[in-house]
Amino acid sequence: MTDKNYRDLLGGLLVAAIGLFAALYGQRYEFGSLQQMGPGFFPILLGIGLLLLGGAIAAPAWRRQGKAKPIRVEWRTGGLVLGSVVVFALALQTLGLVIATVAAVLLASLADRSLRWPGRLKLAAGVTLLTVLIFVTGLGMIVPLWWHF
Amino acid sequence: MDTLNNLLAGFQTAMLPVTLMYCFIGVFLGTLIGVLPGIGSLAAISLLLPVTYYIEPTPAIIMLAGVYYGAQYGGSTASILLNLPGSASSAITCLDGHPMAQQGRAGAALFMTAAASFFGSMIGLALLVAFAPAIAELGLELGSAEYFALMALGLVAASTLGSGALAKGLAMVLLGLLLGVVGTDVSTGVQRFTFGFNGLAEGLSIVALAMGVFGIAEVISAVNRPREGQLRDDKIRLRSMVPSRDDVRRSWMPMARGSGIGSFFGALPGTGSAIAAFIAYAVEKKVAREPARFGKGAVEGITAPESANNAAAQTAFVPTLTLGIPGDAVMALMLGALILHGITPGPLLMVEQPELFWGLIASFVIGNLMLLVLNIPLIGLWVSVLRIPYSVLYPAIIVFICLGVYSVNNSSFDILQVALIGALGYAFAVLSFEPAPLLLGFILGPLMEEHFRRAMMLARGDVTTFVDRPLSAIILGVTVAVLAWAVCRRTAAVLKRREALRPAG
Repeated sequence: MTDKNYRDLLGGLLVAAIGLFAALYGQRYEFGSLQQMGPGFFPILLGIGLLLLGGAIAAPAWRRQGKAKPIRVEWRTGGLVLGSVVVFALALQTLGLVIATVAAVLLASLADRSLRWPGRLKLAAGVTLLTVLIFVTGLGMIVPLWWHF
Repeated sequence: MDTLNNLLAGFQTAMLPVTLMYCFIGVFLGTLIGVLPGIGSLAAISLLLPVTYYIEPTPAIIMLAGVYYGAQYGGSTASILLNLPGSASSAITCLDGHPMAQQGRAGAALFMTAAASFFGSMIGLALLVAFAPAIAELGLELGSAEYFALMALGLVAASTLGSGALAKGLAMVLLGLLLGVVGTDVSTGVQRFTFGFNGLAEGLSIVALAMGVFGIAEVISAVNRPREGQLRDDKIRLRSMVPSRDDVRRSWMPMARGSGIGSFFGALPGTGSAIAAFIAYAVEKKVAREPARFGKGAVEGITAPESANNAAAQTAFVPTLTLGIPGDAVMALMLGALILHGITPGPLLMVEQPELFWGLIASFVIGNLMLLVLNIPLIGLWVSVLRIPYSVLYPAIIVFICLGVYSVNNSSFDILQVALIGALGYAFAVLSFEPAPLLLGFILGPLMEEHFRRAMMLARGDVTTFVDRPLSAIILGVTVAVLAWAVCRRTAAVLKRREALRPAG
């Protein structure tokens, strides 16, 4: 029953930290008055709200004792998927759509261990073909296909 | 008579070949992603959002809407055949749909869900047509205080009526509102929370936010999720789909009740089709003469929730189109799509953009007819789609997400935003926070701030204006009631748990 212990504790702290940051960072914008609100009014209000809610989430979790279901984080999958997005972002305008797509697909496909290398290469080729057909041929998107120095 | 003329004009718009094509693409993709577990209609609509730049607003919104209600049809297919819901709103259909499949009645179950979905959609649509003009008229009377109150109600309802914890839902709403602050302040021109990045001057990209939270974060959690459920190898033939006379006889009343329940909850802010389906199932079980049949393949257990979630999918458009206040995250995306095209939904939408409004309504009829064809004679296609492994799908999804986001501003910076938001979204998913209220808050944030400021300025800084104006007071009263009810419900649950623990401890 008390399986949300660390989740809520961590989540509450995260929310509170974001709130605290917003409330402090918002100080640099004019607060204004209720009648003439400045740009800082709303974010500071929200920051304080988040700080309180974060506390409300974390406090009961701190007091509650019991066996906590461990938090499972897919570090490897997460890293590979996010990495593939970043690689795509960096490669798109420099190396072109084709290389960016192949690289992103290969990197992302490492996350699933059931695939083998021939399968990965076929997948990369297929997705690249589909992407070019849909976005460039079909929708007429303007994006470099290859690198240009 | 006016309505009839408008509807006829709407059909003229919706029957244009281009519009028909986008309507078909929408419902086709909707069914496809509805069938595939692991991609929801939110992800699909955010994926298509950038594509809509290349087409006119009317066909664009018709296509996006098609994805939404198409997914309601498709979702039940996976529920019945795999016992794995293709989308959240068809989770309840597993309970009786899968037992029917195990008894060799998968065909009949699929037929009855498609029929019930169509029935529910049509009822919801009729109510939408009947009530939308009146609500829009009412909307014209509302001032900033009322709008602020309505948005507060929507956000509170969305975060408390969901399945998750109360404080966590509210936290996601506030976080969404805060993310909405990023960018140039409309009233003063000051750049807020941009940290010196020029790319953030116009705010976080809604496409990047939606894709990060519902695309990337979802892919990360889904890749290595164990996949259970075996697809039975028997083919679904058209003949096996003919339901028994008993199935049909038993379904009329549940479908009518389900449509009513669905229409009501769909139109309310914050409650979506998933909640409507759940309540419809609970009601059927309560009024049934033999409740024991439920869970063992009772046809009422699939027709009631399926008509409810489709009816809700139609009436959900009422507050979005007439007041500009989306009830759930999908509707928030629809609103976002309209805003991207420079159209502000609100009470004047029907008057200023009759072609869009009535064209959309007419397209619902056409789209639902298309869906009937797609889901009954062509069911074999979707059964084979269920055999595509996720390992092949997700790399393609990632590339589509990246390119889609890029196409909005031709900016690689936006793709990097997706990575960052995806990481944050995944962190919150791991800590079991629900992502939908975040998106709703993000869309409503700037509107809410503006109305709040305007209301305060008009009242010369007097906060009591919100309770002095009767309509605003009523809405805020309901908001407080919803909040209080949620707190009570949770406290009661905690007390009950303690009670249950006491003898053991």
